[in-house]
Formats: sequence, structure tokens, C-alpha cells
Amino acid sequence: MTGITALLKSPGASLEAEDDFDAVNELLRARGWSDGLPAIPPTAERVERMLAYCDRPWDEPVAKMAPRYGEATPLRLAANAVMAGCRPEYFPLLMLAVEAMCEEPFNLYAIQATTHLCAPLVVVNGPVVKELDINAGHNAFGPGWQANATIGRAIRLALVNIGGAIPGSGDMSTFGAPSKFSYLAAENEAQSPWEPLHVERGLPREASAVTVVGAECPHNVNDHESITAEGILTTIAGTMLDTGANDVFYEAQPMIVMGPEHAKTVAAGGFSKEQAKRFLHEHAHLPLGRFSKENIDRRLRITWKEQFANAGPDAPVPMVRRAEDILIAVIGGAGKHSAVINTFGATKAVTRALKTRGGQYAKSVEDFRK
Amino acid sequence: MCELRKRGLVTAVILSEPFLKLGKSQSRVFGVPDLPLLLIPHPLGGLDLDGVKGRAQHAVPQVLELIKEYVK
Repeated sequence: MTGITALLKSPGASLEAEDDFDAVNELLRARGWSDGLPAIPPTAERVERMLAYCDRPWDEPVAKMAPRYGEATPLRLAANAVMAGCRPEYFPLLMLAVEAMCEEPFNLYAIQATTHLCAPLVVVNGPVVKELDINAGHNAFGPGWQANATIGRAIRLALVNIGGAIPGSGDMSTFGAPSKFSYLAAENEAQSPWEPLHVERGLPREASAVTVVGAECPHNVNDHESITAEGILTTIAGTMLDTGANDVFYEAQPMIVMGPEHAKTVAAGGFSKEQAKRFLHEHAHLPLGRFSKENIDRRLRITWKEQFANAGPDAPVPMVRRAEDILIAVIGGAGKHSAVINTFGATKAVTRALKTRGGQYAKSVEDFRK
Repeated sequence: MCELRKRGLVTAVILSEPFLKLGKSQSRVFGVPDLPLLLIPHPLGGLDLDGVKGRAQHAVPQVLELIKEYVK
């Protein structure tokens, strides 16, 4: 305990509690350090075991988390990781995801404090997916996988306990979303006909990476009938049509999650990812007249003045401003489904690679082991 | 807003009741816990123009009072 003992003596770093699971959980709930579910008591021993996978100083902040702008130190993140049920080897990925969502373009302040129901979605790529057994297949966004469930949960606990996303004060979401408990999945690179998301976004294939998106929950695209690329993409473009999406009013970056079977059909039709994005951009339009009069007059005619200031009801309103702003990831198992994931709108996806403190791409989470 | 307050300008945030806790915590976070928070009825979204003017009528006297205090 030599490593952690001194750190825990600093003011507010630790507190004494009865050595009893229920009592500790009562304490956590009473203090508001909770997502409402029971948590693993973050004892000094457990937190130190978590920190075995951290190659940085344990008390040096890796980021400040809005809206409280609390310092996300490895020590604090490790306590949240323990509470969430993470295995120690997950810890480097948790740190990486937190760093990514604290980058300016992500706009974490607004993601946290908004009345919108968004939550940071983490999509994981690279060798770390296999190493940590992160689910990219059936039910990847759902329960059943320790890595997905607990890393996602640790992020939420950190957003609450460090970032101050307390419902009704730091988190003003009108009604929230189940994705605020945990929202992490891996891309199914093995089943994807295209380059992985992190490669498309400029990283080498051998790098492990996270891409964070300020996202709504997935909205399903059921297409069991189309057998052509154009057919599948037409159905996806149709599902993107949404007069109530934030994305319409911003230069947004919605994510299209393609099930592997849909992706295969689209790629077999000769479509690269870029071409698929262009098709979606060109086809996901609604006529101006489909929006409410108030939204036309008070939002669209003003926000996109050049296009709509004097436009008639048939003027096409794009769901996405630029084709290249659409993110495509291949996730999931068998089945003729895809998903549209709209976003908060005023947010940019951030991709960040897993690197050691020395700046090298990590080959394994073992590279972080002290 | 907090930066303007620190520079000594007359500054206030106008907000509706559900956002009071957020306003208070943010003013603390940014080092100006005494930042004036002027309350207007909720909501501000989804109002017609008369409704918006009504909200402004709630805010204006509070703003004037703030300025008067400042110039005393």
C-alpha cells in the first residue's frame, strides 16, 4: 500500500467507512456518488489494484470534466472504475475515453448539462477489442459483456462524481436515456467490408483507439427485403429523416451503425464508405414544409439563412450538412438491421489512440502495467 | 460571463427556476459565486413573441436594479 497510502491522506481523497457492502452503498447513495445501482466499495486495496494499469502519476489530472470541471486524476478514475466493476486491465481504455470526451470539440459541458438526452458513446477499435473481450457482435450495445457494461458504467460514474452530472443541477436532461448508464461498443472489424473507423479517421490499423460521439440511443433500421446497396441505403436514409433531431440545426456528425449483413450488401454493390455517405447525404432530405411553421420561421430560416430565408415548402432540408460528416461503423452480429444514431448536434466526434506515456502506440494494455 | 464579472463589469445571468442550481454551481466553479442570477418564469423555449416579451418584462426591472446598485 505504499504507492497509494500517501495520496489518500490528502484532504478529501478518502474517508472511513464501515467494512460492510450495504453500509458502503448506503453511504455512496447518500452522498450522491451513484448511478442508482449497487457499487463495488472502492477500498484502497481495490483502487490500487486498478492503478496497476496506469503508467502516469496517480494524482496528476488527465483532464477536467465539465460542468464541475473536476480534475480527473487516475486515482479518482480508478475509484469510479472499481465502483463500476471494471477489471484492472480495462483502466487504460477508461482513461483514454475520458481524455477524448474532455477535448474541446466534443463540448462535454453542453453534452452533460443540456436538456437533450445525449450521452457520450464510445466506439472502440483496434487490437484492444480482442484483448479486453469487448463485444462488437450480437447485443454490442446491450447487456451481457463485462467490458462493455463496466467501462461504460465507469465513464458515467466519473461524469457524475468528477464532472458533476447530477440530475437537476449538472445534468439537466429532460428525461435522460438508458444509454446514460453505459454506452460503449466495439466495431466489428472482422465482419466489416471497409477500413475500420479509427483508420478512416487517420490512425494506423494496429493502433487501438476510441471514438467518442455525443449521441442519442440507436434507432433501428429494419430492412429484410433489400438485396442491393441502393436498397439498404435508401432505407437507412429514410430512417434518418427526422424533424425533431438536433442534428438538423447544427453541422452535426450523426453515426450510422451498419449491421455486418447490411454492410456486406452495400459493399458488394461497389460502395466504398465514402460513396455510401454521399448516397445517404443526397437522399436524407425532408421538404421544408414537413417542419412546423415555428421551426421554419424561428430556426431553419435563421440558422441556415442562405438556403432557407426565402425558400418554399418543397425546398429540401438535408439531415446532415456534409456527406463527410456522417460517421459509419460496422457493429453487431447476424441480422438484417442497422441503426441511426443522432447526436446532440453541437458536438464533434473525437478519435484518440491508446498511447503509452512515452507517446508510442500501445500494443497491449500490458504496456501500461507498472 | 464569469470573466466579465471578474473584470468588474455589471454582469448577470438571466435564467428560469429549473436552471437555478446549475447557475449557482457554475458561478462557483468559475470563481464568481456572487454572480447575480436573475430569475424569470419557466419556460423560455416554446413561447410566442408576446410570451418572450413577457419574460423580458420580468428581467428588465431586475437588470435596472442591478445597474442602480452598481452606480451607487
